[in-house]
Amino acid sequence: MSDVLLSVKNLEVTFKNGKENFTAVRKVNFDVHEGESFALVGESGSGKTTIGRTIIRINPATKGEIFFAGQKISGIIDRELDTYVIRNIQMIFQDPMASLNERATIDYIVSEGLYNFGLFKDENERREKVFKALNDVGLLEEHAERYPHEFSGGQRQRICIARVLAMEPKFIIADEPISALDVSIRAQVLNLLHDLKNKRGLSYLFIAHDLTVVRYFADRIGVIHQGELKELATAEELFARPLHPYTRSLLSAVPMPDPDVEKHKSLLIYDPSVHEYAQEGPSWREVFPGHFVLANSKEEVEYRAAFTTNSPSRR
Amino acid sequence: MAKTAERFAFATFDVLQSERIAGPRYSYWKSVFQTFFKRKTAIFWLALLLSLTLMSFIQPLISGYDPAVAPNINTPSTWYQKPSAEHWFGTDDRGNDLWDVVWSGTRMSLSIAFIAAAINIGAGILVGAVWGYSKRLDPILLAVYNVVSNVPYILRSMMLMYIFGRGFWQMILAMTITGWLSIAFFIRTQVMIIRDREYNLASRCLGTPLKRMVTRNILPYMVSVIATLIYQEIPGLINTETILSYLGIGLPSTYPSLGRMIDVYWSFVDTYPHMIVFPGVVMGLVTISFYVVGQLFADASDPRTHR
Ligand SMILES: Nc1ncnc2c1ncn2[C@@H]1O[C@H](COP(=O)(O)OP(=O)(O)O)[C@@H](O)[C@H]1O
Ligand SMILES: [Mg+2]
Repeated sequence: MSDVLLSVKNLEVTFKNGKENFTAVRKVNFDVHEGESFALVGESGSGKTTIGRTIIRINPATKGEIFFAGQKISGIIDRELDTYVIRNIQMIFQDPMASLNERATIDYIVSEGLYNFGLFKDENERREKVFKALNDVGLLEEHAERYPHEFSGGQRQRICIARVLAMEPKFIIADEPISALDVSIRAQVLNLLHDLKNKRGLSYLFIAHDLTVVRYFADRIGVIHQGELKELATAEELFARPLHPYTRSLLSAVPMPDPDVEKHKSLLIYDPSVHEYAQEGPSWREVFPGHFVLANSKEEVEYRAAFTTNSPSRR
Repeated sequence: MAKTAERFAFATFDVLQSERIAGPRYSYWKSVFQTFFKRKTAIFWLALLLSLTLMSFIQPLISGYDPAVAPNINTPSTWYQKPSAEHWFGTDDRGNDLWDVVWSGTRMSLSIAFIAAAINIGAGILVGAVWGYSKRLDPILLAVYNVVSNVPYILRSMMLMYIFGRGFWQMILAMTITGWLSIAFFIRTQVMIIRDREYNLASRCLGTPLKRMVTRNILPYMVSVIATLIYQEIPGLINTETILSYLGIGLPSTYPSLGRMIDVYWSFVDTYPHMIVFPGVVMGLVTISFYVVGQLFADASDPRTHR
């Protein structure tokens, strides 16, 4: 497997509102390899955005560490590393209607990062970089003089992607980049992200709230529930052998292209009380090679048994 | 078969063609002024506001009215005259032409209001923008604000005037020493609302420095808020001047101003009401036109009203 690019270790994020503390993310561990699309999937409010924002240093990590390209980027870092992080980690936000400065032209928006770090020798080079970024996302040079409100949702998300591309980052955090878009243009934006990854050798942390979106997009998937990672495996493995009851409930919500399967499918609802953690609490266990799940030793045995005796065909 | 092939050809679908935007380019400021001037009331009140302002800054230059000099003080026949063709607004208790007095008074009141408003709003925006961003400054300024704002503004100005004594610059000082604080607080709250919006997070992720954050991301969103501040601040300061001068702690008697006129002429309100009506009407018109023009401009500067 290729080198580890990003490593999240024992991450905990707590928000303080006056006296009340709320821990949105707990003991989260995962790696993203170079050239990989790693997906975080979980229902709304499970802490996905918080993890993304903590990596990009908008939120501080309460506990744990984050490493990028071998350097610790969480906590207090020097200016040089800060610049390195900004230039190499970029984020695409969930809502393209909210993430563009309405009072600036597309030209300024796409070159904002270039201005911040003086990433051009003259005006010509800056314009060229803007045009190239726009062309890369399927927009036109003439769009540079326009304002965000003149564009549709899908176009706006592509502008957000162009602004990120202009920085030539190594790693992109895409926080539900298509969930605010019309269904008809979701595939377009998803394909664009996929093509860019291959063309530019990018790595992604791709955040989604359902498994449908990430099935063909992600190399590996981490399933998160109430701030905790419950399961982590390659996309193929996770769909073939979903171990954790929460993963199975997410999977039951994925529509199947087979009407017979779809007709007899029942929606599973995850009930955390199925776990018997009174005597032995859960820990992060590798049940199959590269397939991790949060379970205690009793559950580990059960999970393994369920998929070694029968073929992984029942869902 | 050959014929159909000739007649029917596949249309090529150009992906980029579908990205073209029809329609003229949008410009924020052009749309602001277009929206503003589309309203007849806006044009009327703006014209009135401009005429009143111009009149009060030009007319006194021509009349040369000086409240320290009363050339007709020994000619009682020129006193208390009703409005006439010769004296449009009549004359006052010293035989001064009220038309002259009103315009130089308006000029003085407007000058004070303009200077004090510029200081209050300028300082308020600067401090408020930093205040909204700085977590360290917030508790300190908040404590200062809470203490100061417990005392009503007019009382604060009165106390300060007692300390400084009467005078033009003394009054501006009294109006501005604490006057910027409530504006800064207002701006702080606005900045805090805008600060954590996603497009600002995006700018942070791009490494945009604070200075450009304020000038490119925050202030352009506050045009209508700032317009609102201006149209409320100027009439408010005109009122403050009037109240302070009416209480006899504002401008000295050698200065003409709307407040001074109301102070002096109030004793004749029963016998010679025209002496109080004309300054009152001019002051009312100035105040109302500031409010109406400011409100309509603030509306027009909100891009949601464009098209
Ligand atoms: N700045 C904040 N202050 C307090 N609580 C927050 C803050 N940001 C997020 N949260 C809380 O943390 C939890 C996780 O939120 P989030 O990471 O946005 O979830 P997701 O992206 O998975 O929908 C939610 O309960 C949310 O209310
Ligand atoms: Mg989210």
